[in-house]
Amino acid sequence: MKIFKSIILLMLLACLAFSAPTFPQLNNSRVIDDAGIFDANQEMALDKKLANHETNTSNQIVVVTIKSLDGYDISDYGYQLGRHWGIGQKDKNNGVLLIIAPNERKVRIEVGYGLEGALPDATSKTIIQNDILPLFKKGSYYDGVNSGIDKIILAVKGEYTPARSTNESSSIGFILFPILFIAIIFINAMPKDKDSKKRIIPAIITGSIAGAISWMMFFVLGVSVFIAVIVFLITLFSSKSDWTSGNYPTSGGFSNSSGSFGGSDFGGFNSGGGSFGGGGASGYW
Amino acid sequence: MKIVGIIGAILLLLAAIIILPKVNNVPRLDENVNMYASQLDNQYKRRSDLIPNLVATVKGYASHEKDVLTQVTEARAKVGQMTLTPEVLNNPEAFKAYQNAQDGLSSALSRLMMVTENYPELKANENFLQLQAQLEGTENRIAVARKDYIESVKEYNLELRTVPGKWVAALLYPEAEVKQNFTATTTESATPKVAF
Repeated sequence: MKIFKSIILLMLLACLAFSAPTFPQLNNSRVIDDAGIFDANQEMALDKKLANHETNTSNQIVVVTIKSLDGYDISDYGYQLGRHWGIGQKDKNNGVLLIIAPNERKVRIEVGYGLEGALPDATSKTIIQNDILPLFKKGSYYDGVNSGIDKIILAVKGEYTPARSTNESSSIGFILFPILFIAIIFINAMPKDKDSKKRIIPAIITGSIAGAISWMMFFVLGVSVFIAVIVFLITLFSSKSDWTSGNYPTSGGFSNSSGSFGGSDFGGFNSGGGSFGGGGASGYW
Repeated sequence: MKIVGIIGAILLLLAAIIILPKVNNVPRLDENVNMYASQLDNQYKRRSDLIPNLVATVKGYASHEKDVLTQVTEARAKVGQMTLTPEVLNNPEAFKAYQNAQDGLSSALSRLMMVTENYPELKANENFLQLQAQLEGTENRIAVARKDYIESVKEYNLELRTVPGKWVAALLYPEAEVKQNFTATTTESATPKVAF
């Protein structure tokens, strides 16, 4: 089972390795205080306000404070972070990020495609100049952020009506079902040979077929390779008796991966997969 | 004999497995490039649409900066005649001309914005501030759209140049050609920002 776990881990790491700058982790909150400028109560108050707004309008507004921009321009960093996290609903791209880099003394409002009409660059700029920066200059980050998001909410209100969440988040079951289906067919069709060496070629074929099918279904390379390898291993290591007797050899490995896929479904905040195109404005103090 | 047959069948199957999912990649990536190209073109258009207002506002405060203002207007006129169509994407010369025209407008605009630093009254003008914010946002969007476009062309060209996409293209899409990409301009590699 160690092989399974390490391979699954490797796959996940390979998927993560694509992002260019290092981004803070998105947890179940709309306030990601990586730089540590809020206390717990302030964070909760902001999160509550933003959560309220989201239930009313489905707009996702997220406040993020960043320790370091790693030498990136804040506008360059901002849209990549928004895309990386997928803030905003996928079909509406109605996300807004308020990014504060206290060490670089920079702030930015990053606006998703769908809200560029309600929150144009000039409005973002005005909010930064008039509502956020004067308070930041006095050193009160919380008040600045608070009045900033108040104005942002006012600006974007009414642009979208709330949509019932259809819950189309990709669940592991959707991916797992074809894997198991294909694997079981092939295992049943195979000679009952306990020697796993003789299974290598059939296992390779099964794995590649599963990979190809999943490629046609998802068009995601990481997922297809992942499925191909898992099917390969299932076919290679499991004998028919394992399955019929109810002894599922892979349960350890799968529960592990389902944790990392489905874990974000619980709790307060799910990013919807919205995208960003560089709209918004920046300021410095 | 039986073994040879089995091995042959396996090889055939493997080839099918490798190639089948790739069959639609060339047109799919091609459409992808076209989409990003029109997004980029949109952003350039948006910038060009901002210019008449900007020039009029600056003129009100700095009418004797004629040189810079005419440069911007001329550069805009040049850009106005061009669109980033799929034909342009496949024509190195037209593509180069498009890129040069847009770069020309970029540098004329940055010169204009530099000049405005000398006019405190202009800088306090509400209308000008709005236009400046819009211009900044648009330039940023252009940068993002350019990056997306470059990325999509890279993906397309990689598909055409590497196996097995190369074989698929030779078989099914013989007319597909490697596309033009942007080269980083001097203004891009060293962004001059005057801010104090």
